[in-house]
Amino acid sequence: MTLVGTTPRGTTPPPRLPVREKSTARHRAGTGLSPMLTRLAAERATGVLERERGSLYLAEGRVVHAESPYAPGLDVLLLTHGTLDPTVWREAVERADQEYGAARLLLDAGRIPRGALELCHLGALYDAAYFALAPSSAPGRFVYGAGHWLGALRPVPVDALERETLRRRELLERLWPDPLADGAPLLRSEAVAAPAATARQNAVLALVNGVRTASDIARELGRQAFHTLVDVRRLAAAGLLSALLPPPPPVAPAAPDPPRGIPMPRVNDPDITLLKRLRDALEAL
Amino acid sequence: MTNTETALKEALASIEGASAAALVDYTSGMALGTLGGSKSFDLNVAAAGNTDVVRAKMRTMEHLGLKAQIEDILITLSDQYHLIRLISGRGGNGLFLYLVLDAKRSNLAMARHQLRKIEEELEV
Repeated sequence: MTLVGTTPRGTTPPPRLPVREKSTARHRAGTGLSPMLTRLAAERATGVLERERGSLYLAEGRVVHAESPYAPGLDVLLLTHGTLDPTVWREAVERADQEYGAARLLLDAGRIPRGALELCHLGALYDAAYFALAPSSAPGRFVYGAGHWLGALRPVPVDALERETLRRRELLERLWPDPLADGAPLLRSEAVAAPAATARQNAVLALVNGVRTASDIARELGRQAFHTLVDVRRLAAAGLLSALLPPPPPVAPAAPDPPRGIPMPRVNDPDITLLKRLRDALEAL
Repeated sequence: MTNTETALKEALASIEGASAAALVDYTSGMALGTLGGSKSFDLNVAAAGNTDVVRAKMRTMEHLGLKAQIEDILITLSDQYHLIRLISGRGGNGLFLYLVLDAKRSNLAMARHQLRKIEEELEV
């Protein structure tokens, strides 16, 4: 008779490896985008969560506003298309205080229909949150009690925001799986037998000049940054534009010359991004 | 002057046979507001999917060189009507109103007329 086993008879078996209970972990950490945000939502916190690529403003655990340097603000969306007069906007922002946010001042004065302001704001909120919730290399910071001068319009539950952010990531991934074009300067390329671009996409293409990024183009057109990313990824998939690869970092003058014959490893940004995404994905498991 | 939620509520209440409504941003496919729907009929899924319908039609029109605007798109099922009404938002993004109607209880011409009225009130 043969005994099949890795543990010899008479010895104690090794302790079981710790395995994270997936179901409870997922429940605890929400969608895994930001465990901190999930916790703040559960404790109905009020304040601002500052992350590497943007900030989320919370009121009683729900998101009332979001800002990111990668997404055009509500002012850009409202003013570029002439929905609101710039002086009216400035006045409201200056007069806004804790009690009366700028949004309420604009609505009370009848400067903008409620539907228009609400939808523009909701669009700007989800847009900035998409970037604010992007994988980051630095921990987030929460400042309790801080409000936003705009005031609350239509608060969004954290889980709805996280769900939508994940859906947006998947949508971009489906359109064109290379995220490089999201942050890099864009360059037009000659495509062979490319499908015709739409009017909206042509407006994006017209601004591609080897310097502007997708966020810059969004700001100039007064469109949401995520919408521009959708156009950019579709154009990249059609071969009509590509991302300008970051130039190799200049060699520091003080560094001694590497000995001949030994190739120095080149540090490449996309690799770091990929590693960060991998780490985030593994943590989210 | 109404907000999104009220407009959708009004759509369901005033349009005979309407069972679900959504206001959707068709570049991102996100539902900015939903009303009605159920576990078996997820409006967020319907919103994202119908975005592709709208996009396909708009592309075809551009290829054909048609300059006219789409007012609405009607999809008839054996027991339901799905009505899509296009709206241009002031924030430079395109939106559509999506309405699910029970085919037996609804009056299509009336539903289209009501939807146009709701769009005007919505002032997006």
